[in-house]
Amino acid sequence: MEILRTENIVKYFGDFKALDGVSISVNKGDVTLIIGPNGSGKSTLINVITGFLKADEGKVYFENKDITNKEPSELYHHGIVRTFQTPQPLKEMTVLENLLIGEINPGERPLNALFYKKWIPKEEEMVEKAFKILEFLKLSHLYDRKAGELSGGQMKLVEIGRALMTNPKMIVMDEPIAGVAPGLAHDIFNHVLELKEKGITFLIVEHRLDIVLRYIDHLYVMFNGQIIAEGRGEEEIKKVLSDPKVVEIYIGE
Amino acid sequence: MIIEIISLILLWFGIYYIVSLSLNMEFGYAGIPNFGKALSVLVGAIAVGGILDRLLILYFGVGGDFITGTTYATSMLNDLIASNPIVGIGILILAIILASILGFIVGAIFILPSAKLKEDYLGVTLLAISEAVFLICMYNLNIIGGYYGISTPDILAFVPGEYRGWAFTGIVLFIAFLVYLFFERLLNTPFGRVLRAMRENEDTVKAFGRDIMMLRIKTMAIGSAIGAIAGALYSLYTVNIIANAFTRVEWTFFPFLMVLLGGKGNNKGVALGVLCYVVVKVLLDVYKYNLKYTLNIPFEPVWLSYMLFGVLMLLILYYKPSGLIPEKPIITPPMKKKIMEISNK
Ligand SMILES: Nc1ncnc2c1ncn2[C@@H]1O[C@H](COP(=O)(O)OP(=O)(O)OP(=O)(O)O)[C@@H](O)[C@H]1O
Ligand SMILES: [Mg+2]
Repeated sequence: MEILRTENIVKYFGDFKALDGVSISVNKGDVTLIIGPNGSGKSTLINVITGFLKADEGKVYFENKDITNKEPSELYHHGIVRTFQTPQPLKEMTVLENLLIGEINPGERPLNALFYKKWIPKEEEMVEKAFKILEFLKLSHLYDRKAGELSGGQMKLVEIGRALMTNPKMIVMDEPIAGVAPGLAHDIFNHVLELKEKGITFLIVEHRLDIVLRYIDHLYVMFNGQIIAEGRGEEEIKKVLSDPKVVEIYIGE
Repeated sequence: MIIEIISLILLWFGIYYIVSLSLNMEFGYAGIPNFGKALSVLVGAIAVGGILDRLLILYFGVGGDFITGTTYATSMLNDLIASNPIVGIGILILAIILASILGFIVGAIFILPSAKLKEDYLGVTLLAISEAVFLICMYNLNIIGGYYGISTPDILAFVPGEYRGWAFTGIVLFIAFLVYLFFERLLNTPFGRVLRAMRENEDTVKAFGRDIMMLRIKTMAIGSAIGAIAGALYSLYTVNIIANAFTRVEWTFFPFLMVLLGGKGNNKGVALGVLCYVVVKVLLDVYKYNLKYTLNIPFEPVWLSYMLFGVLMLLILYYKPSGLIPEKPIITPPMKKKIMEISNK
């Protein structure tokens, strides 16, 4: 069943057409991967889907609702969360605080904040959940460290942990394992699989096919702002990857 | 002499602590570079001089122009207060309520033009708005008497002159303490956490469902309400208002200095920062002529404090950007409980 669909997305930066009619379809519960050489428009596409950039043309549908050009804060409430290509940790805050930001507590309203009974119960729940997630990500021992002091790979994990706080429907990740050691990279994707079992949909941009190939259900290849190949399931994905056009782009790179 | 100096130090401590606490929430927590902090203090003066004074003029039916009207109206009120302290306290409370409501509204509106701006431009915009309002209040004598000045009620008219300073200091310290408790309660919560998160990274906070503009509006409304209380107290203390007193140096630059010195994001640190500043300020004020002649300084001694504090600001930013007492993580009661559980294992 389809959960996300884009139709002919076009995005200009000045005169430069970074997205040139991109249509993709993501199935619920799948891990969908987008690959493509540097500058092919992968991040731009993700930014349009998550509301960080406005599309010039085209539509985005999530669960059949039109979400084109909605604000990121609104998309969160539809169940879409994302991580960024460059990690965006809250540097001066602890790992635990970084996770807690993943969920909204009524005590974020100043008037509620003044009264414990308005927010403590939710806070208790959130703290429990945060520690469970930290355990799951093997980060428990780092809970009181400032996020700015973590390694790149650990920061990526914290971002994923934060995304998990919300019980999202879909997690969008831009290069979650770039610059991460292979061992940890496989750990991250094993987590992705576990979450997939729980019914979460993933839309992922990643360069490192060697590592991620075995984890994915659906593949798109982008080039110059267009989708040039697509394959669903092991067979088709194999075929896509042996497609001369795709091979050329990757060797050309 | 020494006892008066101490009273003066404590009084300034109280007033500046209120301003700095509010700036600390805006800048230290939320990362909003409010270079227009002085505006909120000026709003407090407007609440007292522009609104309360006008109400008095109406109440006592004083005729004539506004500026002289305030003199008559306040002296009539002072006679009442002298025989009935309750009136004085009532006027104080009324002034605080007026100032905080007006501050709240102005703060919320003041930040609106910045809806689409990133931090860098935010600061400049706030500075520009604040300066514009200051100049209008300075040269339009009908608002708060401008450079000419107006009288304000003496809420302590019932206290003998020699104790007035101490009594006012006591009131200011008491209110400053309440403001401190308020901010501790308000900020050691998910609200404080989301403000810090906004300071650290707006995109992350947006991606996780928060409306940055709403957070900014709430922060500035509360911060300006509290800043206005300080402005009202100051206007009542001096028993008159002269617009010249509400400059950006006194009420924006120096509070930034105190917050940075003490430790941005830390309310206790800010107290230390304010105290350091106020002690130096008062001592320089009291001994400026002694200094001028013993050191043979070839310029106005006021400049000495500006220069000194300017250099101090640079030194802090350069050598100790986190201040004397750095920020601590926000640990809410449930976090504390859980952490105890873990460390007991
Ligand atoms: N904000 C921007 N302003 C102008 N041009 C931009 C902007 N963002 C991206 N671009 C351009 O759009 C094109 C696509 O960029 P995008 O970041 O989407 O590529 P990508 O596929 O994610 O590449 P990479 O693998 O290097 O992350 C590039 O040529 C880039 O220079
Ligand atoms: Mg990219």
